Amino acid sequence: MTWLTSHQLTILVFAPALLGFLLLALPHNLGRLARMLGLMGALAVFVFSLAWLLGHRGAGFILAERAAWFTLVGLPVDYALTVDGLNLWLVLLTTFLVPLTMLGTWTSLKDRMGTFTALFLMLETGMLGALMAQDLFFFYLFWEAMLIPMYFMIGVWGGDERRYAANKFFLYTLAGSLLWLVALLYLANKAGGFNPVLMGQAAALLPFNVQCWLYVAFAVAFAIKVPLFPLHTWLPDAHVQAPTAGSVILAGVLLKLGGYGFIRFAIPMFPQAAMHYAKPLAILSVIAIVYGALVAMVQRDIKKLVAYSSVSHMGFVMLGLASFTVIGTQGAMLQMLNHGISTGALFLLVGMLYDRAHTRMIADFGGVAVKMPVFTAFFFIVTLSSIGLPLTNGFVGEFWILNGTFLSGFSWGRLYACLATSGVLLGAVYMLWMFKRVFWGPENKDEDSGTHHLHSDLNAREVAVMLPIVVLILWMGVHPKTFVAVSEAPVAALLLEAKAPPPRTFVLKPAVHEAPAAPAGHGHAEPAGHAEAQEVHR
Amino acid sequence: MNLTPSQWAALLPLLIPAFGACLIPLMSLDKDQATAKWIRGAMYGTALLAVAASFWYLTDLWTTGAQPSFFQLRMDRLAQFTGIFLLVAAAMTILQSWDHFHQEGWVKGETLSLLLFSVVGMMLFASTTHFALLFLGLELFSIPLYALVGTVRARSESAEGGMKYFLTGAVASSCFLMGGVLIYGLGGSLDLAAAALTLKVHGLALDPLVLTGAALLLLGFLFKVSAVPFHQWTPDAYEASPHPIAGFMSVATKGVAFITLLRIFPGSLAPLSAVGVKLQAVVAVLAVATLVLGNLTALVQTNVKRMLAYSSISHAGYLLLAFVAGTPAAYNGMLYYLVIYLAMNMGAFGLLTAFGLVGEHTTFDDLRGLGWKRPAMGVAAAIFMLSLAGIPPMGGFYGKYMIFRELVSTGHVGMAILGVLASLVSAYYYLRFLVALFLQAPSAEAERLASDRPTVHAPLAGATVLVAAAIVLAGGFLQTFLADGFTRRALVDGLGLLR
Repeated sequence: MTWLTSHQLTILVFAPALLGFLLLALPHNLGRLARMLGLMGALAVFVFSLAWLLGHRGAGFILAERAAWFTLVGLPVDYALTVDGLNLWLVLLTTFLVPLTMLGTWTSLKDRMGTFTALFLMLETGMLGALMAQDLFFFYLFWEAMLIPMYFMIGVWGGDERRYAANKFFLYTLAGSLLWLVALLYLANKAGGFNPVLMGQAAALLPFNVQCWLYVAFAVAFAIKVPLFPLHTWLPDAHVQAPTAGSVILAGVLLKLGGYGFIRFAIPMFPQAAMHYAKPLAILSVIAIVYGALVAMVQRDIKKLVAYSSVSHMGFVMLGLASFTVIGTQGAMLQMLNHGISTGALFLLVGMLYDRAHTRMIADFGGVAVKMPVFTAFFFIVTLSSIGLPLTNGFVGEFWILNGTFLSGFSWGRLYACLATSGVLLGAVYMLWMFKRVFWGPENKDEDSGTHHLHSDLNAREVAVMLPIVVLILWMGVHPKTFVAVSEAPVAALLLEAKAPPPRTFVLKPAVHEAPAAPAGHGHAEPAGHAEAQEVHR
Repeated sequence: MNLTPSQWAALLPLLIPAFGACLIPLMSLDKDQATAKWIRGAMYGTALLAVAASFWYLTDLWTTGAQPSFFQLRMDRLAQFTGIFLLVAAAMTILQSWDHFHQEGWVKGETLSLLLFSVVGMMLFASTTHFALLFLGLELFSIPLYALVGTVRARSESAEGGMKYFLTGAVASSCFLMGGVLIYGLGGSLDLAAAALTLKVHGLALDPLVLTGAALLLLGFLFKVSAVPFHQWTPDAYEASPHPIAGFMSVATKGVAFITLLRIFPGSLAPLSAVGVKLQAVVAVLAVATLVLGNLTALVQTNVKRMLAYSSISHAGYLLLAFVAGTPAAYNGMLYYLVIYLAMNMGAFGLLTAFGLVGEHTTFDDLRGLGWKRPAMGVAAAIFMLSLAGIPPMGGFYGKYMIFRELVSTGHVGMAILGVLASLVSAYYYLRFLVALFLQAPSAEAERLASDRPTVHAPLAGATVLVAAAIVLAGGFLQTFLADGFTRRALVDGLGLLR
């Protein structure tokens, strides 16, 4: 028992894959049993993750396992798993979404359910491992291994263009991570190991241009996963072709790993280079926000629309990170959770619609609200959350990010915040317009139309899947502190380490007296004049 | 002549398979061999027994740590490593060929005999620095292989491939011989290590003749490892030969050539470091060319065996990169990679046998949907292909990792970037194998044809595939055990590197 209690993280990470391998060994005709066992296993992992991780949520909490694993060619590799403020909620999001998705797509697949469930569980191991790994080699293993189950999930159970999409997904991601591997080896060679702290210290001693190159290698690998414009082109294909469960996990967790990689590795290890490249990162983020939204607007396929909205939403995450303010970064952390839940839910809902109507074209629908009122209600709530209506989670994340960008010490902050705000507006346009065309209006009476094939509203199982999501959407919108309290301290430490320019403070005119103004951000309280003088032009 | 026990110990690992190789043709003298199943069984049994006995003997030597020698034949740790490597490959080949030749309807005893002779030749080749023995070993393993490639005489492609391999191989062998003769002529000793020392003492290290000699020796090796531009024989020879033989050639020839290259160039010719530096530059250029050409050509193949042939060319490129880095740790990575490569490639070729693909052309279309029909083979195929592409957590990743890491640490970052880009390209064609196995349904016509054919029965090949998959996975998870316990000790005790 002592082994079990002292290796909780190991159990959480590897239990799903273990179960997955067992399910893979089950005979083909026991697919239903495998699906059931898989769901049970995933639920158990979720329950245990809640019980073990949520217990200690105090300030500065850290749950870690570290042991020497092996030494090859003179570089020690550690078996290091950690859960702390930066990844706690992402880990929980993962363990939450996996069983939920299994249940939500219970009847979507007709064949080879056992294999699919097994791959799904292996994917969960990959994601949890990548989220928890605190040794870059170990992280790299999970990061790459994750591709394998996802490749098969898209390629075998996907849509008509699945082979193309699966290959594109695999090769695109591999391209980034292979170049990153070279950077990793270079730095490990200087640091004598893959411990991120040691590597960060070694990086600090390198010439600045070398640091910049290394940071770019890291950033490109992560930005492909995010995906940041212009490296996003794999995403629409993968999302549209993937089966519903694949899309949910892709949007819900895999994309987060990109943002998480920045905040966990790229920025802390190369703070100077990260600051140096904050402006290009912000530019690309703003382009992603606006471009993603504009492209989403003209989509005819609902799933593709949601996919492009992901590009836009993840652009917000990157903008928050580029702002180098506590509130912006915290907003990015929250936005990652938001996006996981809202977009995951959207993909689930689109999947439910597709299972009934066998089409996802907006033009094939119309008047769905009449036929499926419950579905419409859920879809509406999730839509609002995706738009970022106040009281839903989307609002808080986007507001913090924009706020952080506006207040950031960079000279470009205000302009980019204003530009990015248009993304929120465009988000409302494309979501509501789609909603109007699909759900409102007269019922589409065409024999071939999607609406015509809708015979049943959501059943109890589907409602049970959507309810926790709605609860979370509201909870995160009303009381986001639950989800960001743990990450505040690590984020503040991170920014301090990076020597981020202090956020600007605004004093109402006329300046009354020379006393320090009230802090505008959460972290740094700086005298107003001082902050203005320090505005960074980069 | 009285031999000491130590001398016997050095000789026996070679003598046992040679003896088996002599016995087998005697058994197959019976004309009725096609009908007499027990004769066939006895031949295969003898071959396996010879391989197993030699293997057992070598592992025994390995565990005791003895490094006996018989005059210039040194059964040191590196030679023992090579022997174990070769015997595992030979055992897999024998098991697979039982199934394959039954599918082809072409069971002949001489195949096994030739195979064993080539194993003996390879072991000899890898365990000496004496040029006469080296050449003897080279010919002893090359000539049976020429014959093996053309073994299925009923097919015209087979004869063509065999002839092509033979002619080009003969040129390469004569170049190798010429190189040795030049060094012998100036150095005055057939032992390459002694010759190199003499040349250095007389200040002839950069003599153009010595340089030519070393370059010609290198050419012989590069031909055997099928590095660009000496690679053209590879796809034709692989395509022509039966699947197990192609697997054996891809693994054993390449492996033994690399190990001997290691023994000769950084090992024996170490005194001629000036030559080494020049040749290292050549090797670097050729490695790049091999990577680029091998991978790009593999992309456009429709024939699985040709794809695997070009893939094996590209793997020669990765292994050559270890020589570009030129550190003991890189050589360790190379040996490690060879062990995994043995499992990956024997497994990949074994799959073709296990799936019962016979005939002249094996295209990707023939593989469609087989992964679902034979799930265990499908999983193994996924393991092999992902490992060949270098995706963690498979063993192939660690081989590349070790080599790339040494490249980076010796300042060859550009080469490392090129290497990872090459493996990105390679991922595409390995995925194609998996696409055919899992992502594509067989065409209606193929289904109809398949229902006419008898069901495939290849238990032995299937077993070797599973063993190979287990080795690849072990390479991914027990890397310390393999790298420190096996490959590193071969280097430390065999060549005195990495102490």
